[in-house]
Amino acid sequence: MGLVSSGKAPKPLQHLLNYSRKYSLWMLQWGLACCAIEMGAALAGPRYDVMRLGVIPFPASPRQADLIVISGTVTDKMAPAIKRLYEQMPDPKYVISMGSCANCGGPYWDSYSVTKGVDQIIPVDVYVPGCPPRPEAFIQGIVLLQQRIMSEDPAERWRGVTREPIVVG
Amino acid sequence: MADAVETTAETPAEIPAEVPADPKTELREQAADALARLQAELGDAIVEHAAAYGDVVVRVRRDAWRRAAQVCKDTLGCDYLSFIAGIDWMPTPAVAEEGSGDTSTPAQPKEQTYGVAGSDGRYQLFAVVMSTRRKSWRVILKTDLPDDDLHADSWVSIYAGADWHEREAWEMYGFVFDGHPSLRHLYLPSEFEGHPLRKDYPLLAREVKPWPGLVDVEPMPGEAADADDAAAAVDGGESA
Repeated sequence: MGLVSSGKAPKPLQHLLNYSRKYSLWMLQWGLACCAIEMGAALAGPRYDVMRLGVIPFPASPRQADLIVISGTVTDKMAPAIKRLYEQMPDPKYVISMGSCANCGGPYWDSYSVTKGVDQIIPVDVYVPGCPPRPEAFIQGIVLLQQRIMSEDPAERWRGVTREPIVVG
Repeated sequence: MADAVETTAETPAEIPAEVPADPKTELREQAADALARLQAELGDAIVEHAAAYGDVVVRVRRDAWRRAAQVCKDTLGCDYLSFIAGIDWMPTPAVAEEGSGDTSTPAQPKEQTYGVAGSDGRYQLFAVVMSTRRKSWRVILKTDLPDDDLHADSWVSIYAGADWHEREAWEMYGFVFDGHPSLRHLYLPSEFEGHPLRKDYPLLAREVKPWPGLVDVEPMPGEAADADDAAAAVDGGESA
């Protein structure tokens, strides 16, 4: 790790590391509302089957996860739990915010109980818009995230470099 | 239609035979029976009663709220509490000025109106009890809470299931249930301030931000294409 974190890893090694990270994204499911149904279709439905992209949606705990998908309405009461489990995930970690509610509050933009966007709690890498997004849109989010991982310098995160989030569509 | 008549004929006598001619104002047979028994037990504690879709709505005095539940359970055999809820009859304050184009909320009444069986003021408690043994055997109970004293007797000792319903009414409306074992937050975070289901609860997002439907308008599918077509047509005309 010292080699990677110092940013001195040779290009072929970086490529290999990124390649292996890209195709073994362990994904923590955070189904909070109706978007979770679409996520379920993308994960388990034979028509979409996100596991063919190497996304494994069954980590036993957040400590084994690389990716967290917030799909649904985040409430102020749920927010501390999301933050806590996100902090338990080991770096490098990625966040996909799925659906209008998780992106910005969506139809609950003036509600007393809904957090207006999960990005107020944790940094989001990919926004998937829609109410709810189709499974195709979710899978596109995964693919875009994989492309970013592939082009990533693994040392970036240690240097504190942050990138602009991806917006699907 | 013929099938329906046959089915009715075969059903046991206890199932309601006919819906009253005008179910909005007339009581079903069981409801009239229940009302008669309630009147015999509660007497002048009943302020008003009315029919709602065949069922009876009974508005009782606040000091008889607990006794009404006891009578419903013991005498009427309503062994199941469906729910307890609060009502705030205050008209919702306008969220946007008229003519601003904000269509995010439906038109609100300007004056305070009340539902079936009326109300003395803004706040009401509202409960439905029913029987699990007898079909169509249910009573809808209401009581008025004065604005300056939102207290009512708890039903928990009669219907154990009232516990969470009363906690919800407590946090959402600020009603206090005397005799409830532990009134604490159920849905809301424990540091939450205010009673969000009251009509005058401010929706803070609306204070700082206009309705997104006004400021963040995207063309409907087809509209943009039409505009492009129109522009193209104009361009074509000019070049021709």
